[in-house]
Amino acid sequence: MDKPPTMNAAPPGSEMGRRSFLRTSAVLATGLAALAASLKPLLEMNDFPTMERFLQKYYKEMTPQDMAKVLKRIENEVEQQYGLRPHVRDLKPLDGVEYVYCLNLTRCIGCRKCVHACVAENNESRDPEIQYIRVLRLPDGSLDIDKAEHFYAPDSVPEKGFFYMPVQCQQCKNPPCVKVCPVHATWQETDGITVIDYDWCIGCRYCEAACPYWARRFNFTKPSIPKERLNPDMSYLGNRPRRQGVMEKCHFCIQRTRVGRYPACLEVCPAGARKFGNILDPNSEVSYILRSKRVFIQLKEEMGTSPRFFYYFDV
Amino acid sequence: MTANAKTGSVLAVLCAAFSALTLGFLSDSGGTRPARPAIPLVDTNFLDRATTRKSYADLVRAGDDLSDFDCYACHDKKKPPPLRLDTNGNIIVAKEHPDIVMGHGQHGRNNNCFNCHNETNLVLLQPRDGRELKFEDSPKLCGSCHGPTYRDWEAGAHGRTSGYWDRSKGPIERKACVNCHNPHSPRFPSRKPAPGPHPLREIGVAAGPQTGQE
Repeated sequence: MDKPPTMNAAPPGSEMGRRSFLRTSAVLATGLAALAASLKPLLEMNDFPTMERFLQKYYKEMTPQDMAKVLKRIENEVEQQYGLRPHVRDLKPLDGVEYVYCLNLTRCIGCRKCVHACVAENNESRDPEIQYIRVLRLPDGSLDIDKAEHFYAPDSVPEKGFFYMPVQCQQCKNPPCVKVCPVHATWQETDGITVIDYDWCIGCRYCEAACPYWARRFNFTKPSIPKERLNPDMSYLGNRPRRQGVMEKCHFCIQRTRVGRYPACLEVCPAGARKFGNILDPNSEVSYILRSKRVFIQLKEEMGTSPRFFYYFDV
Repeated sequence: MTANAKTGSVLAVLCAAFSALTLGFLSDSGGTRPARPAIPLVDTNFLDRATTRKSYADLVRAGDDLSDFDCYACHDKKKPPPLRLDTNGNIIVAKEHPDIVMGHGQHGRNNNCFNCHNETNLVLLQPRDGRELKFEDSPKLCGSCHGPTYRDWEAGAHGRTSGYWDRSKGPIERKACVNCHNPHSPRFPSRKPAPGPHPLREIGVAAGPQTGQE
């Protein structure tokens, strides 16, 4: 500043002397170092998408050939990671089928076996825990969810003065989670199951916030599943292993129900409280229940979500 | 202070701040989370799909020991076993049947062996309408009193099922009444619940009230 302006100096206001250049670059260098240091956690990321996965098409735009390639890629990835060759399929909805779940609140004893059968069947993370089913314990004589408790741990169930209400994805007819998804990574299929394409999900968690049932779960970390507990019978929209940063939820065991089998939570229930079937078939168990049982509720029906999951009582 | 000196001091402060940030990021101070206890794997017993009891038909199918159902190994074919009641009118179960605990019906109303067993032929069951049923057909006996439950069971709305909901793809497996209910004491037994959810944060700090032993 004290120096007299020279002949070839820059115009006033943009002058850059040797000194100020050095000072500014020193600050810039430390700033860049700080930025680089703050990005250090990225170095720990090891699940970079392969080019194949990065360029993968949207589920509904894939041709059968594309899908076959994708299924092969998933099988390879799972085998590489778990040392076990899975059988991954892409199962389409069956014609003339709409699934409905009925749960008998009179019979449920709150043993949580359904929770763990679901975890085992659907390859959910064990640590940290991801569980699709949450069993609520409610005091007798009310259906006030505010009084519900899900950490209960008595020596034996059922406890006197309480009843139990397992809550999972209600497979709504009018699902708020689907409406908020900015990338259409989740949608309702013709058989009523709301599915997620884990390869299309960007992990914004809008759907988690929109769901009135707290049915959606987010993979904050890479899911951990012990090799010996991996279920190798997988489907693309169902129980194939998820990545860090994607949503997941109950899909009525798509890999079982779309080949005609019952969901895992139903088969393990010791009290026979869970009933599942095709509501379009008048001879199914669920049709019988909705026709002849006198009391059944749709959880939070005032939300207008119209769940396909019904709670009923033996009268 | 001249403008140049002012710029210099601002740059020096920036430099110091950036250096501090660099050190902070590299040492990961403030980024360390409190250690969370590892979550143990769930006991595989909780994944078991077996029913609480085995029905006579199951035992026959599995080729298991049926000596419990061979009544005339001990009883006399010509002499029906006598009924003995205590002073309160409760039945006294012979000590040869240690596994039978009578508890059928509130207030012990169903309190007579021969309400269900055939008195003259012990290997048969006999509902009040006079039919004679084999042990395999026990649901019909239960249904002779528990009509609405039997109706629900026949429709598939009561009791355990497994297999295929789509009958065109495979068979459905139904369980009998006695697979879950002990006929002599039919109340569904209580059991230890599987472990509940583990909070992501330290237990005690977790959101939601804690009860029980967790």
